[in-house]
Amino acid sequence: MKGETMKGEMMNVQVGDEIPAWNMPSVLPERMRTMAAILRDPNPVHWDRRVCAKIGFGDHTINQGPLGLSYMVNMLHAWTGPESIRRIKMRFPQAVLDGDHVIARGKVTALREENGERLADCDIWLQREDSEPPLQGSATVKLPG
Amino acid sequence: MSIPLPPLPPVEDIRALVGHRFSGGHYTIAHWENFLLTECTGSEPLPDDIAHPVALFHVPILGAGTSIGEMFALGQADSDASIGIESYDWEFFKTLREEHPYRIDAEITEADRREENGRMFDRIAFRFDLKDEQGEPAARTTITWHYNRGKR
Repeated sequence: MKGETMKGEMMNVQVGDEIPAWNMPSVLPERMRTMAAILRDPNPVHWDRRVCAKIGFGDHTINQGPLGLSYMVNMLHAWTGPESIRRIKMRFPQAVLDGDHVIARGKVTALREENGERLADCDIWLQREDSEPPLQGSATVKLPG
Repeated sequence: MSIPLPPLPPVEDIRALVGHRFSGGHYTIAHWENFLLTECTGSEPLPDDIAHPVALFHVPILGAGTSIGEMFALGQADSDASIGIESYDWEFFKTLREEHPYRIDAEITEADRREENGRMFDRIAFRFDLKDEQGEPAARTTITWHYNRGKR
């Protein structure tokens, strides 16, 4: 029933609709370290606070760009399902730091059909209190139904 | 006392990177890898062996036979911390899944010097194409980084 309700809601998606927000209460440095190992990422700004302090970020490591982007992915998955994303374009005007509370948000900007799929184009961004969005971009998702 | 900036790489060296092709190769996303990766994002594991789309960062890089470190070095980065992200553009033609081999080919598509607000940087774009076992396009990603050179 829940699935049918969701499908019904998705049939009524309109331009201007807000995507349900996805909350990351605190960006964790432990996750950055695991991510660095998987990515084989040698950049110490993701795991060495001493390096971050030297370049002006105080006692905070810097979140990997793909991790910030993944919060957008999680928001879109929760909205349209885990196989729905067709494209994400993301810019990174500001760094996300460990301990940050960030919220992924989005809004529908256009609806269209392509190759038999109902697509929604969306503006997406990461919201952080007292700052401009550290991540801004766009996404295209396939709508159910 | 200010720390002297490292020598600026010749702009011709940077521009000559356009067309550089990586060796290419294959990459299979392991279950353990996808599990940990997905956990890092704050998501529960996805159903049906679906790889979290965040895999579209490291899978193309490693599968193409390169590494983040080599990409830094190609652009003659002043230091690891001098790299800034301009954008990531991720296109999914198919759902990526665990334990499926993907063929990856990659090249540098843009490389040039820029100056904004007195800040100099080299802008380099890397494009990676993923194909599935049938040779059909599965995904494409374009990474655009800034190799910051400081105020000169």
